[in-house]
Parts: sequence; C-alpha cells; structure tokens
Amino acid sequence: MKRSRSGLLLIAVALVMSLSFGYYVMAAKEPIRIGLQAPITGPWAYEGEMARNCVQIVADEVNKAGGLLGRPVEIVLGDDQGSPKQSALVAQRMVSDKVAAVVGTYGSSINDPASAIYERAELVNIAYGSTAEKLTEQGRKYFFRTCFRDDKQGAFFAAFAVDKLKAKRVAIIHDNTTFGKGLAEAARRPILEQKKAEIVFYDAITPGERDFTAILLNMGKQNPDVLYFTGYYSEAGLIIRQMRTLGIKATFVGGNAAVNDEFVKIAGLNMAAGALQTQEPLPTDLDYPQSKTFLAEYIRRHKEPPSSPWPVYAADAFKAIAAAIEGSGSTDSKVLMNYLRNSLKDYPGITGPISFDAIGDREGAIYLAYEVTADGKFVPLR
Amino acid sequence: MRTGVASAAAVSAWRLPCRVKMVVFLEQLVNGLTVGAVYSLVALGYTMVYGVMRLINFAHGDFFMLGSYLGYTMLVTVLAQSSLPLWAMLCLATLISMGAISLLGVLVERMAYRPLRKSSRLTAVVSALGVSIFLQNAAMLIWGARYQAYPPWSVPEVNWAPGGVHVSLMQLLIMGISLALMVGLYMFVQRTTVGAAIRATAIDHDTARLMGIDVDQIIRIIFVIGPGLGAIAGVLLGLYYRQIHFTVGWSYGLKAFTAAILGGIGNIPGAMVGGMLLGILEMLGAGYISAAWKDVFVFLILILLLIFRPTGILGERVAEKV
Repeated sequence: MKRSRSGLLLIAVALVMSLSFGYYVMAAKEPIRIGLQAPITGPWAYEGEMARNCVQIVADEVNKAGGLLGRPVEIVLGDDQGSPKQSALVAQRMVSDKVAAVVGTYGSSINDPASAIYERAELVNIAYGSTAEKLTEQGRKYFFRTCFRDDKQGAFFAAFAVDKLKAKRVAIIHDNTTFGKGLAEAARRPILEQKKAEIVFYDAITPGERDFTAILLNMGKQNPDVLYFTGYYSEAGLIIRQMRTLGIKATFVGGNAAVNDEFVKIAGLNMAAGALQTQEPLPTDLDYPQSKTFLAEYIRRHKEPPSSPWPVYAADAFKAIAAAIEGSGSTDSKVLMNYLRNSLKDYPGITGPISFDAIGDREGAIYLAYEVTADGKFVPLR
Repeated sequence: MRTGVASAAAVSAWRLPCRVKMVVFLEQLVNGLTVGAVYSLVALGYTMVYGVMRLINFAHGDFFMLGSYLGYTMLVTVLAQSSLPLWAMLCLATLISMGAISLLGVLVERMAYRPLRKSSRLTAVVSALGVSIFLQNAAMLIWGARYQAYPPWSVPEVNWAPGGVHVSLMQLLIMGISLALMVGLYMFVQRTTVGAAIRATAIDHDTARLMGIDVDQIIRIIFVIGPGLGAIAGVLLGLYYRQIHFTVGWSYGLKAFTAAILGGIGNIPGAMVGGMLLGILEMLGAGYISAAWKDVFVFLILILLLIFRPTGILGERVAEKV
C-alpha cells in the first residue's frame, strides 16, 4: 500500500517536471511573468478565449525575438468567469504570484474590484474591454486601458456628424439606460460647445416599447439632418422603420449597440440599408501594417479572425507592458507606471498608436462609421 | 437655443407654425387611433370574460402574443411556399391563427378555469396568472428568446400623405378591421338569440340556467370569441411593427386591461372607447409632454378616473351582489 502510493507520487512529480520542462529550458534566465485576467469561462467565455489567443500571439512574438531584457516572458492566466467576486480572487492571486503587470479585464463592473486590489498592491493593470467612464475617474494610479471610453464615442459622433456628414441640425434620442444616456450626453456636449451645428431635438424613449411615432413626429418637424440613437438594436430597428414610414429623411446613425444583424431583420433590409453606426473598428478593418500581420497570424492559428474588437485591445495592452519593460529596463511596477504614463508616446499598437493620458485613458479615439450596405453587410465608411 | 434644448421635446410641438401644428396633431391622432384599435380588440377579450365570469383573465395577453407568433409561423413556413397572392396569404394566416387560438382558449377554460368556477375569485385569478406564465415560457421555448420579425414581403408598404398627414395602408387596415369586428360583435351580442343568452348569463348564471340557457356553452362561446379577437390583433400588430417577442403579451395585456377598466370593465362599447382613448392619450402625452413620461401620464388619468368614476366611462353602477 505504502509503496504504491509513493510510486504514484513519483510518477506525478515526473509528469509535472516533464510538463514544465519546456519552460525550464528558457528559464535559464528567470522568465518575466505577465498576468492575463480574462473571462475564460462564464457568459463571456468566447471573448475571454479570443483575448487569450491574441495575447498568446504577441507573447510568442516577443519570445521569438529574444524576450524582454534578455529574459523570456510567461503568461500567467487568471479566469475571472465574468464575475466580480471571482475577479477579486484572481486579482489577489496575481498579486501573490508576483507578476510584473496584468492585462485585464473585459467587463467594466468586473474590472472595478480587481483594479482596486491591484491599486493597493501597486501593480500595473491595463484593461482591454472596460469602457465605463468612471473607471479612470477614481484617481487610480496603476490603472490604464487600451480600449476607449464611452464618451470618446460621443465625441467621435459629434465630429463625424458635423465634419463628414455636414449636418447642421442634429437630433439625439437615447433610451435612459446608463450606457445610452451617457453616450447621448457625450455626443451632445461637443456639438453644443463647438456651435457648428445645432441640437434641434433631444429626448428619451422607453426600452421595450414598440411605438415611437409620437416622439419621431416631433423630431421630424424640427427637420434634423442626422438622428443619433444611442440605445439597443431592438428599438433601433423599429425607430428607423417608423421614421421612414413617417417620411423623415434624416440620416440614421446608431451607437455601437444599435446596428447589427438583428437590427436589419427588424427594420427590413429596404429600410436598414444606408443606416450608419459609430463603432470600434473590427479587427478585419484595421489598416496598420502591424495589424495586418497580426490578423494573418491569428487566422493561421484559429482559422477565422476575432469576431469582436475587444480581444485585440488585450494584445495591445500586452504590447504596451512589453514596451514599458523594454524601454525602462525594469520590471518594477512603479517604474513601469511612470514609463507608461510619461514616456510611452505613440507606440505602434495593433489598433493604432498608443499613448496614455494623465488618468490612464488611451489618448485619441479610433472609431469608424460603419454602413449597412444594400445587401445587408457592414462596411466601414471611408 | 441652449435653454430650449433641454426641453426640446416638450416645447417643440407648441412652437411650430399653425398649419404644421395641425398636421402634427392629426398625425399623432392617426397613430393614436391605430394603437388604440389594437388595445380595443385585446380589451374586448378581458371585458367579455369579466362580464360573464367576473374573472380577470390574465392569460388573455398571451393569447394575443401566441396569435402574433402563429401568424408569423404560418407566413414564413407553409404560406411562403404557396403561390397565393399576398392578401390571400395574410387572410389565411390570420384565420388559421384565430382558429388555433380560439381552440386554445376553450382548452384553457376547460382545464384551468372550469374546475375552479365554484371556488373563490382569487383562486381563479391565480390560475389565470399560472396559465399566463405557462404560455409565455412555452412561446419562449418554441420560438426562442430572440426577437422575431414578420418578413418584409408580408407587409404591404403603401403610404399616403394627404395634406402632409402620413397615413399607411396598414394603419387604415388596422382601424378598419378593428372597427368592423367591434361593430359586428356589438350587433351579435345585442341582436341575436345567442347574444341575448350571453347578456343573460352576464347578469346571473343561476337565473340564466333556470331559463334554459346552457351556461357552460355560453362561456365556451366567450372563450372562442375573446382569444380569437386577440389573435387577430396579434397578427395585425405583428404586421404593423413587424417585431414580435414573447413578452409582448404582458405589456399589451396590461395596456388593454387598463383600457377595459377605463371604459368600464364588463361593458363591450366601453372596451372600444377605452382602447381608443388610451391610444390617443398615449400619443398626445408622448407628443406634447414627453415620450419618456408617456406611461406616467396615462396611468395618472386612469387613477383620477378611478377616484372620481370608479366604474369607468361607460360602466354602470351595479349594486354589489349578496
């Protein structure tokens, strides 16, 4: 009995040794460990999996080129399951694992508890899908993000409507949700300030309703050139249909939750064609040379491009950390934080140039306007 | 402009030139009447069941929802393969859906309400709520939780704008069909022998039975007509908005129930008036006050009405039965 147990133990040890052998070869010099916190399981498992794939690609790239500071990098994966509770546990584990910095995570409400823990441990963490404005408004020094804030989208719409669509009269309708209202406010503010166009109509609908003719009639009588609707596709489909039926010709522009396949289904292709949407560029529509090679590698490994914009921001977060380590010559979190904040300027990321502002938000805003074509496809308007 | 912006919706309708103001008002009215016609058709189902059985049939909104889904299924499956002209397809889809939902109505009455007819009213209401939950979840399992949409080819896109007032063929159809059905139903109840029997049963089951009326048969007829009308309203709604969802029965059921109370529950012309009034109030509330406050406005009127005239607009004061 006793013998067989120690025999088993021996086999287990041998197994573990052989599994980790690959790492030991490179770890002649000790590897630099970088955390990746993502929802690998749970409701957003698909997003988490794609983020892991993306980060793996750039990590392999770095290792192939000789690692960082002559040391290999190693990804420490933490699955937060898309739950705030699990997120805090993952953050604690990352801290006790003594990783150099963390990439993560996807959801804004999931990110909040984790980044609080990272802040206390003075550990650099770069979010890739958390767009809520408040995350960078809390004065956290070690929190950054490579994705853009919701209000940047509003500003993008304002510029797009005024400069590109040459709109003089803009109508905005939101749906009273935190996201919809925030985006609507963010779009209205710059238009009011610049005074190049007029906000002729601003009101809210109730999500779940089906008849928006009353509000659309009022809007129509103000003769808007453009309507910006910042709610979700289920109402957006009804709105575009009802306004066209009422004879309102204004260009329809949706926020990044309004226009998708379901929108086309509800509105009908004849009504949906020509509708626009402000949105983060899909990976397939990124135009930089580094994004083209990245996408080719992703497709080679996984047979299809990532289906959402977010995982690529995770790859960029990893690249930013790598650049900071290489540039500052250190893995000390305080040094990295200062480097990211002050010295990293226009680093060529996959989603475009990366620089961070004083509160850790990414500078600039890279959004695209997508158009629904006559055959129901979504193409960026250039 | 700046100060005007915050309340653009509230002010906009008032600040327009006079002729435009009239056009806007008329358009709001047309839209209100269209929605109101759908409310009325659904409200009839509530009011008839209440009139005869003193039961608030909470499952009625779900008959309406299932009618909408059945019409959709007929259109996209069997009828899409056929070479019938569009109007024949639509009629057939409506009739099949109506027949099926009537059958379902009779079944539900037999299984969920008749065994409880002698028990307290509350028990029957709980049973109705149970049926509602059952039907809703069944619809979700059968058709999925995603939005479905009536195919674009199924909706006749004909619009007119006489004098700048936009009216669509669908709107006229909805108003016309609803009005015809309501007048027909009113005639049926007032002018035929069966109608007299329905009225007698509504007054008193026992006395009606003594007069030789088969009360079970009358209730069955009520559960053929009510859900049938609901199914027609469901198909019309599907064609009008195109988008359907398994929760639509709850929201429209609530509005229609409100309409029935507004008009005086148990009273057939009351349901029609209540539905139309509710539709118009909603549109005017959304148009002249604020879209976000529309429901607040509507229910405020309902509360005021219940305080000052608890029996509804056309409801008669009935002595409490002993």
